[in-house]
Amino acid sequence: MPSTQSPPLLGGAIDPTAVRPNIDDAIIERTDPAHVRERLAQLKADGYTMLLDVGGVDYPQRTPRFDVVYHLLKMPVRKATLAEVGRPQRLRLLCGVPAENTTVPTATDLWKSADWAEREIYDLFGITFDGHPDMRRIQMPNDWEGYPLRKDYPLRGPARERSPRPSFALKSNVNAGTPPSGRTLEALQAQIAKVRASGDGERSKS
Amino acid sequence: MSMSATPLSPEVISKDGNAMVLSMGPQHPSTHGVLQIMLEIEGENIVKAEPEIGYLHTGIEKNCENQFWSTAQTNVERMDYLAPSNNAFCYALAVEKLLGITDQIPERAQLIRVLNAELTRIASHCVWLGTGGIDLGALSVFFYTFDLRENILDLQEASGGARMHPNYFRVGGVNGDLPAGYEERLDALVDKFPGRMRDLRALLQANPILQDRMIDVGIMTPEEVVQWNITGPSLRASGIAYDVRKAYPYSGYENLQFDVPTREEGDSYARFLVRLDEMEESMRIIKQVRDKLKKVRGPVMIDDTKVAPPPKETIALSMEALIHHFKYMTEGFRVPPGDVYQATESPRGELAYYIVSDGGNRPYRVRTRPPSMYNLQSLKGMAPGNLIADLVVMIGSVDPVFGEVDR
Repeated sequence: MPSTQSPPLLGGAIDPTAVRPNIDDAIIERTDPAHVRERLAQLKADGYTMLLDVGGVDYPQRTPRFDVVYHLLKMPVRKATLAEVGRPQRLRLLCGVPAENTTVPTATDLWKSADWAEREIYDLFGITFDGHPDMRRIQMPNDWEGYPLRKDYPLRGPARERSPRPSFALKSNVNAGTPPSGRTLEALQAQIAKVRASGDGERSKS
Repeated sequence: MSMSATPLSPEVISKDGNAMVLSMGPQHPSTHGVLQIMLEIEGENIVKAEPEIGYLHTGIEKNCENQFWSTAQTNVERMDYLAPSNNAFCYALAVEKLLGITDQIPERAQLIRVLNAELTRIASHCVWLGTGGIDLGALSVFFYTFDLRENILDLQEASGGARMHPNYFRVGGVNGDLPAGYEERLDALVDKFPGRMRDLRALLQANPILQDRMIDVGIMTPEEVVQWNITGPSLRASGIAYDVRKAYPYSGYENLQFDVPTREEGDSYARFLVRLDEMEESMRIIKQVRDKLKKVRGPVMIDDTKVAPPPKETIALSMEALIHHFKYMTEGFRVPPGDVYQATESPRGELAYYIVSDGGNRPYRVRTRPPSMYNLQSLKGMAPGNLIADLVVMIGSVDPVFGEVDR
């Protein structure tokens, strides 16, 4: 895995969405938790009938820390031919959420499809959606500790971080814990030396 | 993954005391993977259905953040394991957009990508049809469709090197040209396909048992599909002709002739017919691409050693190539900061990636818009009022893949 082979090259862009190259993929709007509800309702009334996706991003260096990213699509709400659908307009609504108060009003009463997407953001980022009918974890077990997609969450999980599995590559790591077999590096090395000394390698009967 | 059952709503418990909670799955053969559905039932009638997902959560999005831009693609292919190339396709397009090299991708590479994406679509629909047939008790369909799928997997193995996860698409093009003998094998598949589709249609389409099970089951009106954010064949079966290949063409789809099959009924049978028609449209695209590939020769990878590794044969001869290769393999490449939403039409619907780059050599965030997840979620609206036996048909008709639902 590259993470152990080479140091990461950090880009350093604290807010990449502000310095984006000129990519024509959607209309972009920004808002905050106090106004997101009102804006979503307004956009829905303006013809953005489909809530394509709700996602989250964590920018620990930035204020506000999180982004909840809504993608909306102007889809006809009736039977429509290819020409009538055409190239429906897409809109991206970025809602900055401060680290001190990670609560955003829900969109489930506007779009039923927001249900699982919002639960997933709660599960993986710890952002709660006020008014959501069923705010439970969705991907991780109910008793899971921490929010995995936050940038400060260790890749292998907090439990593994507290008691790391010892690496036999470095002798200094042996003291970090006893391997599952219960045999220490010294015991293994002693056994190997014994087998080697006996001279018959794998045919040893010991 | 939630361990606890969904709490019963009080009014259902009090209704004659007849309501009962049934946990269907997560190890149920008709759930096409590990899906648990908590059902509130009265007799055989479903009062409420609450799918519980997450049993296959593997943290792919988190893993991507710790991989290079190039190696993250290997993870991404594991989401929708029935259509791996479509995932890699979308990811590659998104990263290319961030890099600003979309217009520099060689034409032959674009054609090969479209060819593979459409082959995968047919293979994926083959699995859907085969397993969907088993759900309805039609065991023999499975053998017909998996035979066809096997031919496609052979082609994938020939071009990419692996049957299931070829990892053939790369940022900047595809990994190597099509091998010798590929065209003949593709021709053989193209010749075989119409007969096999005729067989399948003869076996299923007018079959009264199948029609009895599917017609008027799980009806979704245009209002409901938009409300539930359903895309792909399930959306088109309700009469809305939205196809990302037509609405936001990518990789040369605008130069290919194909129709977007739609139906008006919006029931499971309509979804079934749309997918069958779609397989034939995919074959129509494949034939056009095959003819174009005979004329379009040339490179299949972008000529930019910052994004693509240098050709293998130059490494032993050129110092610069060796340096570029070393840098590419140990540090990866950097992508300018920014965010992009790239959508493609996967066999299940609008598969999109919202990718953020902070300018480093690893993706900052890879958010997937999983079509399976949103399509599956609609069961909550579709199932109540139907019989348990019909629920099996409905799950099959939205075609979820749990690698993608749970990621």
